[in-house]
Amino acid sequence: MFLHYIDLGWRSLRRTPLVSFLMVLAIALGIGITMTSLSVYHMMSMDPIEHKSSRLFHPQLQTMDDGEETWSEDNLPYQLTYQDAKNLADAPYPEHKAAMLRTGFTLHMDNSEIRPFIQNTRVTHSDFFTLFDLSFIYGSAWTQEQADAASPVAVISEQLNQKLFGGENSVGRQIYLDDTSFRIVGVIAPWQTHMKFYDVNNGAFNSQEDLYIPFSLIAAMDINTWGNSNGWKFQNIRSMKDKRQSEIFWLQFWVQLDDEAAVSQYGDYLMSYMAEQQKFGRFNREQLEYGLRDVNAWLDYRNVVSEDNEVLVALSFMFLAVCLANILGLLLAKFMRRAPEVGVRRALGASKRQVFLQHIIEVSMLGLIGGLMGIGIAQLGLWGVRLTQEYYSPLATMDLTMLLSAPVIAISACVIAGLYPAWLVCRTTPATYLKTQ
Amino acid sequence: MLIMKNVSKVYQTEMVQTHALRDFDLEVKEGEFIAVTGPSGSGKTTFLNIAGMLEPYTSGEYMLDDVNVGKLSDNQRADLRNQKIGFIFQGFNLIPDLNLYENVEVPLRYRGIKAAERKKRIESCLEQVGLGSRAKHLPQQLSGGQQQRVAIARALAGEPRFLLADEPTGNLDSLMARQVMELLEQINRDGATIVMVTHDPELARRAPRNIQIVDGQVADLTLYQGVAGQTDRQVVGG
Repeated sequence: MFLHYIDLGWRSLRRTPLVSFLMVLAIALGIGITMTSLSVYHMMSMDPIEHKSSRLFHPQLQTMDDGEETWSEDNLPYQLTYQDAKNLADAPYPEHKAAMLRTGFTLHMDNSEIRPFIQNTRVTHSDFFTLFDLSFIYGSAWTQEQADAASPVAVISEQLNQKLFGGENSVGRQIYLDDTSFRIVGVIAPWQTHMKFYDVNNGAFNSQEDLYIPFSLIAAMDINTWGNSNGWKFQNIRSMKDKRQSEIFWLQFWVQLDDEAAVSQYGDYLMSYMAEQQKFGRFNREQLEYGLRDVNAWLDYRNVVSEDNEVLVALSFMFLAVCLANILGLLLAKFMRRAPEVGVRRALGASKRQVFLQHIIEVSMLGLIGGLMGIGIAQLGLWGVRLTQEYYSPLATMDLTMLLSAPVIAISACVIAGLYPAWLVCRTTPATYLKTQ
Repeated sequence: MLIMKNVSKVYQTEMVQTHALRDFDLEVKEGEFIAVTGPSGSGKTTFLNIAGMLEPYTSGEYMLDDVNVGKLSDNQRADLRNQKIGFIFQGFNLIPDLNLYENVEVPLRYRGIKAAERKKRIESCLEQVGLGSRAKHLPQQLSGGQQQRVAIARALAGEPRFLLADEPTGNLDSLMARQVMELLEQINRDGATIVMVTHDPELARRAPRNIQIVDGQVADLTLYQGVAGQTDRQVVGG
């Protein structure tokens, strides 16, 4: 009977081609607009490192004196001071941890064909690659010895390797960052995420850095951050050394904690650390306080997906609702015109349920066709979004989930719009129409 | 087969109550062919709709094959209608998008009959009404008489024991009306019980039993002895 209803639905759509086209167009437009905004929102709010996000934590320390305030919702600084980041990174616990900051250099080579260019760089510990499950195409991360010796070594991305060395194995090759020669020790495969979740300070959806160098070079080369530095009290900063010894927040720090016990244990450790630091005149507070959020909690906390996006999705759903209201009107007119035929079917043995089902299947078919057309419109919309800013390039796409969701949303929406007309037509008293045909 | 006792039907609007049927009593026996006559607005079609379970009645009791119709759910009524009742309407009421084969198929699909059995029955019924070669035609490609024959084929396809015809010849010329009437008489001879509403006194006279409805009540019950066409009348009630 299901196939028969599909056949009847198809005939009905063909019988009134203009009305059918208008309904399909309405649902396609509604779905197209909705899926455009929903796809961007979906990509933005997607877990950036799904298999590990609940085990990666960003610690925060309340370094500020009592009475001082910053702009985070819980008054905890978003970043760490250099001394805290270094101390926590040098601690024996936990096994995997990395402090980091974003900086940049002019990259040039002994090759006249490659013009010097500005290169965003992440300065971090070698555990960075382990923490975030980055795989190496060539070579590996720098060794502990190289880090301890502040050796000028670098890991580059596959993309940068392509640009500089045509994709060849570049391990051992030289590049220049400003005036310093660096040796390539590894080439990493492309990141499998669209988000720079480990440092959301200057655009969470900017692309990841293509160059990574050891954390120890911050002190050795007096490297400053290209990201945010936030102070909370006056300190006379005359040199990078002063900055490193200051209470300015300018580094990010991530640790891997594999279970609740490890999280709790690390919390205790942070409390002990702060208490220890109080002996050096820091953490002038009655209540010591820390934060420890996993990746998704951290992204929520930092409002990575802004309310604007949620408003946009809500607005697009409202547009879909307007489209549905139009479809509902058209369906009412179409179905009620068909009441005499329904009367005949009822007289010939169709139950209300069968009549209702026949009409719901017809509107589902409308939804399916509209949904498929809507995917096309959404692709156009996303293409338009990508054109506006490169920033949106990785976000303005439809993944498989969204591709499958579009027809499901379209069919559900159409069924909702068709419930009342279908209910109305199945309730018609057949006798009313049999005489008047 | 059909027993109605004190059946009433009241149409209620904000301003007016209309009694379409009042204390309507009737018993139809298996194999009868009854013509129902009466002036316009007397309640003939209302009676037929209630008999066919197409609309509910306000009070009274209606038994069809010992089943109390008033106690059935909508789905049960639809099933019973589908199993036991065939309809023939004045306006034919064929579905315009479906060809003749598909029109005749409609009640069989709702009954859940398998495709092979449906095909056999449809072809047989279309042959019976003389339209076997036109199965793929659409209703609008046929004359009125042919359309009514398709409607009869559709009513027959379900092999109903009870055929309700609402002015089946009302839209036909006299020749076609006679052909349709002959077809109905044949169906009755084959065993189906027929209740036919008609305005045409000539057609009514051909039915073995006549009922006249006036103001929603059975006004005159006349029994024709013998087969259709005989004129030996006997008044048995009023």
